[in-house]
Amino acid sequence: MNAPSRPITLLIAALGGEGGGVLTHWIVSAASSLGFPVQSTSIPGVAQRTGATTYYIEILPVPWAELDGRQPVLALTPGVGDVDIVLASELLEAARAIANGFVTADRTMVIASSHRHYAIAEKMAMGDGRHDSTRLREAIAQNAQGSLIFDMEAVAREAGAMISAVMLGALVASRHLPLPQDALVAAIRAEGKAAAANIRGFEAGLSAAARASALPGAAEPEKRTQGGARRTRSLEREATRSFPPEAADMLVEGVRRLHRYQNRAYAKLYLERLKPIAAADHAARAEGRLLRETARHLAVRMSYEDVIRVAAAKIAPERIGRIERDMGAKAGERLRIVEFLKPGLDEMSQILPVPLARRLLAAAENRAWLRDLHFTMELETTSMSGYLRLWGLAKLRALRPWTHRYHEEQRAIETWLALIAEAAGHSAALALEVAECARLLKGYGDTLKRGRSNFALIEARVIRPVLAGQIPAAAGIDAVASARTAALVDPDGAGLSACLAEIERRTEFRLAAE
Amino acid sequence: MERSFKQEVQALRLGAGETFHGEGILAVTKALLQSGVSYVGGYQGAPVSHLIDVMVEAEDLLAELGVHVETCTNEASAAAMLGASINYPLRGAVTWKSIVGTNVAADALSNLASPGVMGGALIILGEDYGEGASVVQERSHAFAMKSSIWLLDPKPDLPTIVRCVEKGFELSEASHSPVMLELRIRACHVTGQFAAKTNRRGHYSTIERIAEPARFDYAKLSHPPVVFTQERLKVEERLPAAQAFIVANQLNEVIRGEMDDIGIIVLGGLANSVLRALARLHLADLFGRSRIPIYVLNVAYPLAPEELRAFCAGKRAVLVVEEGYPDYVEQAVTVELRRADLNTRVFGKGPLPKTGEYTSDVVLQGVAAFLREARPETVAVELIEAQARALLARKEAAATVTDLPARPPAFCTGCPERPVFAAIKLAEREVGRTHISADIGCHSFATMPPFNLGNSILGYGMSLASAAAVAANLDTRPISIMGDGGFWHNGLLSGVASNLFNKGDGVLLIMQNGYTSATGQQFMPSSPASRDGSAPGMSIEKTLRALGVKWLRTVRSYSVAQMAATLKEAMLSAERGLKVIIADGECQLVRQRRVRVEDAVKLERGERVVRTWFGVDDDICTGDHSCIRLSGCPSLTVKPNPDPLRTDPVATVIESCVGCGLCGEVAHAAVLCPSFYRAELVRNPTRWDRMRDGLARGVIRLFGGRDRAGAT
Repeated sequence: MNAPSRPITLLIAALGGEGGGVLTHWIVSAASSLGFPVQSTSIPGVAQRTGATTYYIEILPVPWAELDGRQPVLALTPGVGDVDIVLASELLEAARAIANGFVTADRTMVIASSHRHYAIAEKMAMGDGRHDSTRLREAIAQNAQGSLIFDMEAVAREAGAMISAVMLGALVASRHLPLPQDALVAAIRAEGKAAAANIRGFEAGLSAAARASALPGAAEPEKRTQGGARRTRSLEREATRSFPPEAADMLVEGVRRLHRYQNRAYAKLYLERLKPIAAADHAARAEGRLLRETARHLAVRMSYEDVIRVAAAKIAPERIGRIERDMGAKAGERLRIVEFLKPGLDEMSQILPVPLARRLLAAAENRAWLRDLHFTMELETTSMSGYLRLWGLAKLRALRPWTHRYHEEQRAIETWLALIAEAAGHSAALALEVAECARLLKGYGDTLKRGRSNFALIEARVIRPVLAGQIPAAAGIDAVASARTAALVDPDGAGLSACLAEIERRTEFRLAAE
Repeated sequence: MERSFKQEVQALRLGAGETFHGEGILAVTKALLQSGVSYVGGYQGAPVSHLIDVMVEAEDLLAELGVHVETCTNEASAAAMLGASINYPLRGAVTWKSIVGTNVAADALSNLASPGVMGGALIILGEDYGEGASVVQERSHAFAMKSSIWLLDPKPDLPTIVRCVEKGFELSEASHSPVMLELRIRACHVTGQFAAKTNRRGHYSTIERIAEPARFDYAKLSHPPVVFTQERLKVEERLPAAQAFIVANQLNEVIRGEMDDIGIIVLGGLANSVLRALARLHLADLFGRSRIPIYVLNVAYPLAPEELRAFCAGKRAVLVVEEGYPDYVEQAVTVELRRADLNTRVFGKGPLPKTGEYTSDVVLQGVAAFLREARPETVAVELIEAQARALLARKEAAATVTDLPARPPAFCTGCPERPVFAAIKLAEREVGRTHISADIGCHSFATMPPFNLGNSILGYGMSLASAAAVAANLDTRPISIMGDGGFWHNGLLSGVASNLFNKGDGVLLIMQNGYTSATGQQFMPSSPASRDGSAPGMSIEKTLRALGVKWLRTVRSYSVAQMAATLKEAMLSAERGLKVIIADGECQLVRQRRVRVEDAVKLERGERVVRTWFGVDDDICTGDHSCIRLSGCPSLTVKPNPDPLRTDPVATVIESCVGCGLCGEVAHAAVLCPSFYRAELVRNPTRWDRMRDGLARGVIRLFGGRDRAGAT
C-alpha cells in the first residue's frame, strides 16, 4: 500500500515532574500496540527539575506489516512548520512552542491547559510581574490552525488525577491523533500503577474537552468584598450620593473596611479626607478617576497593617474553616494552625502610646542590640493559650488612636493627600501618578522601611521639584511614573537611584538648554 | 533511585525471536549482555544514568550471566576498570557523561589505549550537547584522535545502535584498541524496537573465573621504553587494522542517489536530521531513499580512506555534517581528498554554523545553502531554495511572541539545599558579599534566580580547589559550595586535602543530602543505604576529622537562622584555616517517596499521621514577594489579590507543598511578614489530640472565634 509521505508529529511541552514522560509512554505504547512505527525522544535529563521540558513523538499510522519491510526514518527533533499537534500542560509553555516556531497556521493544532504556573521571574517581582495571559491566548489564536484550551489542572484536581491523564483525554477528544480511544485506555491500564486515577483523569479530560468552548475562560477570581453593617449605612449613603458615581463602589468598600478596622468615626474621617480630592478631581476634569484611585489607596493606607490588625485577621471566625477546606480535612481529623510572629522594636512601638514609643525609639538610636531585638514566636491559634493571646492583641484596637504608629500614619497620609490636591492643580494625570505612589507603601519590617524610604526619595527628588516648577509638568508625569516603576525593580534600590539620577540629568540638561 | 526499572529489567531477559521495545540507552544495555560482557562500570550522569541504574536493578540476571557491576566513585575509576581487558580476554564496558566525564577519565584512557587491549573494551559516552545539556560544549572526538581510541557515532535508531555495540567489541578486539560509542541526549532517550538476541555469558566471568594470572609482560605496561613501541603500534598497526575492520564489516553506510555530482557526508548521529531535511525539500522519502548520495559515518573516527575516495570520486562537491567545533571530520576529509588528488570541493562549517546544536531548521538551512554553492546539475536550485525559505519563514512569523519569561530547572519543592542559599543571602546582609565558588550538582541551581549566587564553576568537586588562589588574594573569605556527590567524586582530594596540605583558608559548605541527587539519586559512599540495603558506612564528618579539619560544624539545613549564624561565624572568625559546614538534610525527592508509602501504611492501620502544609493569609500578605526572593520554592507562588482595594498579586502556597518548614524559617530569620502559617492536619487523632482540640474549641467558640463547627 502507499504509505503517507510524512509521519504525524506531536510535541509535548511540560514542566519537569508533571508526568510528561508517562504521557509520552502511553501514546507510544498505544501506537506500538496497533503495530504502527512510532518513536519518541525527550531531553529531560534527570536534572530538569521543575524546568520547562519537551517530549517529541512521531507516529506513522500504517502498520509495519503493510510497509513491505521498509523502515521509516523518524526524526529526533521537531521541525519548524512540521508539527501537527502541540500539547502543552501550561499556557506559557504553549506560547514557548510558538516562539520556537513549532506552531504554524497551516498545520498545528494546539491543545493546552489555560492555567498558569508562574515562572520565577514573574513570582519574584516586587509588584506584579505576571505575564499577560490574554497575550498568550491571542498568540495561540493567531498562530495555530486550531486550538483546544481549558483549565486541565482544575479538571485534574477535581478528578484526583495527574494533569498528564487529563491532557491525554483532551488529545483524544481533539481527534487529531490517529489512535483509537480504547488503545490509549489499554495503555494506561497496562501501566498498572495508579491506573484507576489515570483513567478517571483521562475520562474527565475527554468530557471537559467536549464542553471546552462552553467552559468559562480564565476569569479573574472573585474579589472578597466586605459586608455592610447597620452602623455604616448612613455613611454608605453619603458615599454614593455626595460623591461622583464612578467611585461609589470603592468608597463604600473603604467605608466598610475602616469601620471594621477601627470604628464609625474613622470611616467618616475617610470620607471627609476624600472631599477635597473629589473637588480637585472635578476641577481637573479627571472624571472620577483621581477620586477612585485615591479612595482605593487611602482605604488601604488608613487600614495599615499593625499587630492589632494581624491578630484580628488571624482569629477571624471564617479563617479556620477556610484552611480546613483548603487542606481537605475530613470528619474526625484535627487541624492545628501555627503562626510565625517575630515582633521587634517596631512592632512594640506600634502599639505603645506616643511618648513611650518615642522614648523607646530614642533609646534604640544608639543601641544596635535594641534595634535588632526580636522575639521569635510560634503561636498556635488553634490552642487555648495561643488564641487568647491573639484575641488580647486584637482587643487593643480601642487604644489604637493613642499609639505611635497611628500618629505617624495619619501625618503621612495628610501629607500625601495634600500633594495629590496640589498636583491636581497642575494636571489630573500628575495627580494620578502621585496618588499611585502609595503603592510603594506596603508590608512589614524591612519591606515597609524600604517602601517608605523610596516614597520619601521620590517625593523629595521628583514630586516636589515638579510641583515647584523645577521640572516641567509634562516631563514630570513621566518622571513620577518611571521613578515609581524603578522603585519596584529591585529591593536594593539600584534601579531607583539610577532612575532618579537620569531624571536629574535630563532636568539640568533642559534648564541649560533654556 | 528516582525511577524503578522493573519492566526494563524484564526486557533485558528477552531472547532470540522476541522484540525489544524501549529507550536507546536501555537498548545499549541489552546489547552489552548480548555481546557477552564480563564486567560493566560507570559513573552516573544524564543522559546515561539509566544504564547503570538498570544494571544495578538487574542484579539477579547479571548474577546468572556472571557479569560484575561496579558503581564507580568517578569516571577515572570507571575508565581504569577497563584495565582488566589489557591482560585478559574479558569484554568490558563503562559509561559516563561526556565531555566532562571523559575529561576526568583522560589519564586512565591514555594509559589504557597505549598498551592496547586483548578483550573488547567499550566506552559508552552520553554526549551532553545541545538543548538540555548541562555541561561545557566540547567534542569527545578530540580524545578519540589523541589517544587512538575509535569513536562510533551510530545512526539514532535502535537496530543500528545495537549493531554498533556488538560490532564495537569485535572492532576493539580486532584492532586491540578501546572503542568509544557516543550517543547524544535525544538518542539516549529515543524509543524504538529491535529484534533481540539471546544474552551470552562471557568466556570468563564471575562464574567461570580465569585460573591463571597473566604472565609478566612489560609490553603491557604504559611505561618507558615500551611506550615508544606502543605509539608505533597504535599508528602503524592498530589504526590500519581498525580501518580494515570498518570496511570489511560495512560499519559505515552509503545511500545511493541519482544526483551523483554531489554528496553529503554525515555523522551517524545526525543522519536522521539530514534525511528529514531532504524529505522536506522533496529530495528524499520517508524511508531513507535520497536523491543526493549520502555517506553515513557510523564510525566518526577513524575515517576509512578508500571508502571515502570511492564515495567522492566524480563529485564536484560534498557537504560534511558534524556538530560542534573544531571541524575534525571536515579537515580529515579535505586532507584525504588532497592526498588522493581528488578535486571535490568540501563544504561544512560555512553552509552550516560552526557552533550550536544542529536542530532540524539549522540542517535544512545548511543543506539549502550547500546546494546553492554546489550547483548540482540535476535539480533546480532556485526552487529548493525558495522552498527552504518558505519553510523557515514560518519561524519568523512566530517571532511576534517575545519576552516570555524563562523557566530554568530549579530546586524541587522542599529541597534541603534551598534553605542554605536563603541563609547565605541573609548572612550577606550582615557580613557583605564574598566570592562564591560554585560546583556541579543540584546546588548549582542557586546560580539562577532568585538566588543568583556563584562566581565560578570549575567542574565536579572542584569548588574548593578553584577558590585556593582567590582566598589568597581576596579580602573576604570565599565560600565554596560542594555536594556530597562532588565531595566523593573529587572534592575530598582535589579540594580538602590540597587545602589542608597548603594550610589554606576559606569556608567549605558541604550539602549532605545522601545521594547524587541531580543524576537520579544514586547511592554514594556516605548514603544512608546502598543497593543491598546496608549503609556503606563512610562518613564525611569522620573523614574530614581524620584528615585534620579542626573547624567543623554540622547544621540541619532547614535551620536558616542557625545556618546564617554559623556562616557569619565562619566568615568572621579570626582563626585561620579551612572552616567546614556540613548542611545536613536528606534529598526531599527520596524522602517523599519513602514517607508517602509509610504514611499510607499507617493510615491504613489507623495510626496517627500528621500532614503538614504551609499557607499564606492572603489578607495579611501585601504582595511584596520578599519571601519568594528568599526561597524560589515551586510550591510558593502568587495568585490574584482577593482584596478589591489592592492590585498586586499575593503569595500563596499550592498543594504540592511538602511542609519542609522553610517558609516559617525564612519568615523568622528574615523578619519578613506574619502572613505565613503552618497547618497540621492530624489524621487518626489520638484521644489526647481530641481532648486538647475539644478544650481549645470550647474556649475559642466562647470568644466568638469559629463560624463553623469544623471537621468533627
